Amino acid sequence: MCALSHKLEERGFSTVAIASARGQAEKTRPPRALWTPAMLGRPVCEPSDPAFQLRVLRMALALLERTDGPVILEDFPDDPPGWLDNPDWTAPVTDPSTAFAAELRAILPLWETAQARFGRTSVGLSFQAPSAWPDFAAAILAGNLPVVPQLDTTALSVRFLCDDIKALYGEAAQAVGPAPSAKQVDTWFWRHTAAGALLQALRRTAMDSENNALKTVGGRFFVPTPWVA
Amino acid sequence: MARPEDIPQPTRDVVLNLPCPAFDTTPFVAGPPLSQRRIAIVTSAALIVRGDKPFAFGSGEARFIPADTAPGDLLLSHVSINFDRAGWQRDINVVYPIDRLRDLAALGEIGGVADTHYTVMGSTDPAAMDAAVDQIAGQLKQERIDSVLLTPV
Repeated sequence: MCALSHKLEERGFSTVAIASARGQAEKTRPPRALWTPAMLGRPVCEPSDPAFQLRVLRMALALLERTDGPVILEDFPDDPPGWLDNPDWTAPVTDPSTAFAAELRAILPLWETAQARFGRTSVGLSFQAPSAWPDFAAAILAGNLPVVPQLDTTALSVRFLCDDIKALYGEAAQAVGPAPSAKQVDTWFWRHTAAGALLQALRRTAMDSENNALKTVGGRFFVPTPWVA
Repeated sequence: MARPEDIPQPTRDVVLNLPCPAFDTTPFVAGPPLSQRRIAIVTSAALIVRGDKPFAFGSGEARFIPADTAPGDLLLSHVSINFDRAGWQRDINVVYPIDRLRDLAALGEIGGVADTHYTVMGSTDPAAMDAAVDQIAGQLKQERIDSVLLTPV
């Protein structure tokens, strides 16, 4: 983002970048940047907290009026509260030894509740309805190479299936009650669900595949490295 | 994140050792007071409109997001799986703060919100994005936008 900021400024636009990695901003030296102590993936910090988000944006946009540049790098002073685990959050009841299809059916009502709560879903990259996921995954585990036409290859079809499974479960985990931390969601998904176990199995199958694209994508993009079992 | 000690490995090493482009110039464009500026968002989250193909790995393209795109029609197709999605699942504004810009416009703190916003694949080498930046700049000029907020993931 800092590099794009520089390129847009060269083309005549005032820019301000939010920087997630301060070291990168120090090296790239964009015209104006605000470093925030948000976790990667949340540059504006705190979901469902407009007041906190406005604090971040006001501080960032204020840099547009500064005249003491070029190269202004400021730090946002406060940690977003969502970093901390929430003791009041309760994980959905799941069992990683359950069949994925049965677990998914049990999770779907929570997902629907989440859609009503948040007014949307982030599921949709796989171009498949959840009802199709168990059979597609089973085909991969059986050594077949099905392809979703919109995604062109088996590797990408499985990659985005994994993304959609994680998204559905992530939304279900936030369907009711107070917000969990990102770590709580990850821990529940990767350690306590059949879906997490399925993605680990898909990764292993992909890495044993003779399909080079599936092997490469599966090794890097199905399971985040800290959670590889 | 953002503090190195908060980033799990191996992402920490990737982030800290990522090659960063060096520039010979330091452009710095002044503008009117914030209350007169119309702001556009550029996010590196590789957002797509539901039904479109996800960004390809290493793509240097830019995609345009009409400001009136429904939140439910936005999906995040960034190649990396090593950053949090739970925040995005709960609230698009952590990545694409369109509602907060509208709040600031309604309060008169900014002059307005652009009709079009922009997204790229953040893991792509910026050197491959010059054509995309030209496309973004062209649309910004057409809409008479003077200021840009860039958000990473």
